[in-house]
Amino acid sequence: MNRFQSLPLQAKISIIYIFANVLVLAVNVILLVGINSMSNEMDMVYQGNLHLNQLVTALENVQDSMTDYLNAKTSDSLEDYYRSEQDYREMVQELDDEVTGIAFARMERNIKNMSENYLEIVSQTVEAKRGRNVEKYRVRYESATQLYDYINTYIESLNNEQFKHNSENYKELLDAFRLFETISVVVMCLVILGNVSIIIKLAGAIISPLKTLAGSANEVAKGNFDIELLEVQSQDEIGVVTGAFNQMIISIRQYIERIRESMEVERALKEKELLMETHLKDAQLKYLQAQINPHFLFNTLNAGAQLAMMEGADRTYQYVQNMAEFFRYNVKKGDEIVTLREEIELVDNYIYILNVRFSGDIHYEKELDKNLLDIQMPSMILQPIVENCVNHGIREMAGEGKIKLYVYQIDDVACISISDNGKGMSRDVIHKVLSGTYREEELAAGSNGIGMDNVIARLKLFTETDDVISIISEGENMGTEVILYLPAKEKEEEDV
Amino acid sequence: MKERKRRGSSTLLILVGTIILIVVTAAVGIGVFRLYIGKFNEVSEGKTYDKYYVMITEDRKDAFWQSVYQGAYETGLSENIYVDMLGENLSHDYSREDLMRIAISSKVDGIIVAADESEQMSALINEAVDAGIPVVTLYGDNTHSNRCSFVGVGGYNLGTEYGKQVFQIIKESESKPVTKVSVLVKSYAMDSGQNIICSGIQDTLDKAKEEGKEIEMTLVSVDDANAFAVEEAIRDIFMEQDIPDIIICLNELNTTCVYQAVVDYNKVGQVSILGYYDSDTIIKAIDRNVIYATVSIDTKQMGKFCVGALNEYHDLGYTSQYFTADIELIKKSNVHEYLEGGEEDE
Repeated sequence: MNRFQSLPLQAKISIIYIFANVLVLAVNVILLVGINSMSNEMDMVYQGNLHLNQLVTALENVQDSMTDYLNAKTSDSLEDYYRSEQDYREMVQELDDEVTGIAFARMERNIKNMSENYLEIVSQTVEAKRGRNVEKYRVRYESATQLYDYINTYIESLNNEQFKHNSENYKELLDAFRLFETISVVVMCLVILGNVSIIIKLAGAIISPLKTLAGSANEVAKGNFDIELLEVQSQDEIGVVTGAFNQMIISIRQYIERIRESMEVERALKEKELLMETHLKDAQLKYLQAQINPHFLFNTLNAGAQLAMMEGADRTYQYVQNMAEFFRYNVKKGDEIVTLREEIELVDNYIYILNVRFSGDIHYEKELDKNLLDIQMPSMILQPIVENCVNHGIREMAGEGKIKLYVYQIDDVACISISDNGKGMSRDVIHKVLSGTYREEELAAGSNGIGMDNVIARLKLFTETDDVISIISEGENMGTEVILYLPAKEKEEEDV
Repeated sequence: MKERKRRGSSTLLILVGTIILIVVTAAVGIGVFRLYIGKFNEVSEGKTYDKYYVMITEDRKDAFWQSVYQGAYETGLSENIYVDMLGENLSHDYSREDLMRIAISSKVDGIIVAADESEQMSALINEAVDAGIPVVTLYGDNTHSNRCSFVGVGGYNLGTEYGKQVFQIIKESESKPVTKVSVLVKSYAMDSGQNIICSGIQDTLDKAKEEGKEIEMTLVSVDDANAFAVEEAIRDIFMEQDIPDIIICLNELNTTCVYQAVVDYNKVGQVSILGYYDSDTIIKAIDRNVIYATVSIDTKQMGKFCVGALNEYHDLGYTSQYFTADIELIKKSNVHEYLEGGEEDE
């Protein structure tokens, strides 16, 4: 089987084919030999009868030639007589002279003895005829003829008996032949059945790895590379293809692995690059921050304020002091939650500084609900809004600019309203600002860099609601009002 | 792997199975064929025998002769001699004389012939003896020939026995003034055995006459020259006015024919039959009271004597002149033994 497995496909198929044919051929040969020998035997059945018929003819020849000779005494008939006598004698010699239990054999024996006797008498008759012993040859002729009759009867009887017997034999043989025929057909069918089974089995054994291979190939075609590797069952072409297929699967898997690894590396590299960029920006920022270190500025300004106080310059002192406060707030509260009060103080400081800078251009008014001054809110909310009012509202108008700050409560909401009398905002701009799509082309001088979008986003994050701000502008030069909505009861709860 | 092994082994199994099938078929086919051939060969072979004797009788189909032949045959087999009933397988029905000639020219080792006293038979017997073939006469003798031995029934004793039975019948039946007894004899009067029986009967009946019984004995000649003549001749007896009271038959065929005629002509009880031989038909007839009595001859013994005589002659050059077979009377009283035994014999 193993040697069979290692044969090439063509050899395998050829072997199966040859094997099947040889098997059928062998059975056929066996059956044919059987049939042949049986038919031979059947031919032989009547052989005995044939022989007896020949014997009768020979006997007749002897008798006829003798009679002829006695009649005409021609040399031809004598010659005939000698020849036929010789023939008959030879045939008689072949007869069996054993006494056996079989009637045929005994009859044969009697025929033989009688024939010898007959031939003897016949030759005496012929001798007598030649010697012209009339009396003698007549007597001899009569007894020869009598014997001839006896022999004829014997042969005829034997022939008959043999024929009867042979017919029985023939019938039996025929029966045997029929049986043999039936058996042959059955055996033939069985052998063919076996043959077919073997062919199916072997063909299946050859084809089955191909089937598995086809199945696996289908899987691979669908994109599933995680299939089990096929077992190489044979060393034929299918085995080779299976091996190659396995190798291919392994190669594809390795290739995929390699691609994945390189992609991983690339991604890591990109990440690193991004990180580097962030770090760089961070560093730049740090650097910038370091340049304008608020502490340094704040300390420097404090020193300036003390110097102004010692020199008695009260206004300078006041100014520098305010500035110091402004920066300190920036330094301190950059990212923290603060109270409304601290935010308003920052706005106060900012407005003061601006007024000093722009020599009291801005008229600042505030009206505060004292209960609400302690509510919490994110830092750096009000100052950017006020800065916007100054930069975009008041600065571009003629006349006295006014900024009003109201803090009041409606239900549970603390409202902080910042309004100016500046040039106002168009609806488009208001919409853009509220949706965060409005971008200032460049930061105005003196701004601390915090835009409206930032303010709105932080407020939304803090209150966890979207409804935190509204901007109202009546139209061109009609001023703008920004109202912030903060939860007022939070404060109260904290108080309790 | 396991599955593959299993599949491989099942393939191997089918393979081996198919090959075994072929081998078995070949073996069985050849075996069966040899058996057939063997059976035929068995017929054509067979045991060979040292000597070959032939028996020549008148009526080969007759149960009497068949039985004698059987006795001779069995005795022969035990001594490695084959005894043939000559003419049995021949298509032509030859006379005893023809068969004698055939036997002589066939150079057999011994002839057993149911002879008669004819000259032709004497000549043939002498011819055979001249050719070195011993001849035993059976049942019927040919006293003038050179036959080496005669095997027969004690004819005179048989006749006496018949005579006694006639007395018995006369005693049992109501007395008639004259009791007519017919003895059926072969037309050929040269049969010595038959004559001896007849004289035996005659002598016994003569004694009876002395006792004052009127008995009239006639010999009725039955023509057996042609086939079927016997039966016709016997029927003729019953067609006549004067039907005998007692009919004595001296062979099996006569007995059977008379029995059938008595039944057919409704003469049962009127005609008493004294039969010959113990064939089934005759035994049954005794059982049915149609035949009064019959004699059983030890036919096997006769056959045995024949072969024995020939063997003795071959061995010693001489043998006893006479052999007498045992006879036994079968009547209603002892017929049952034969009824059972007879069935076995057949």
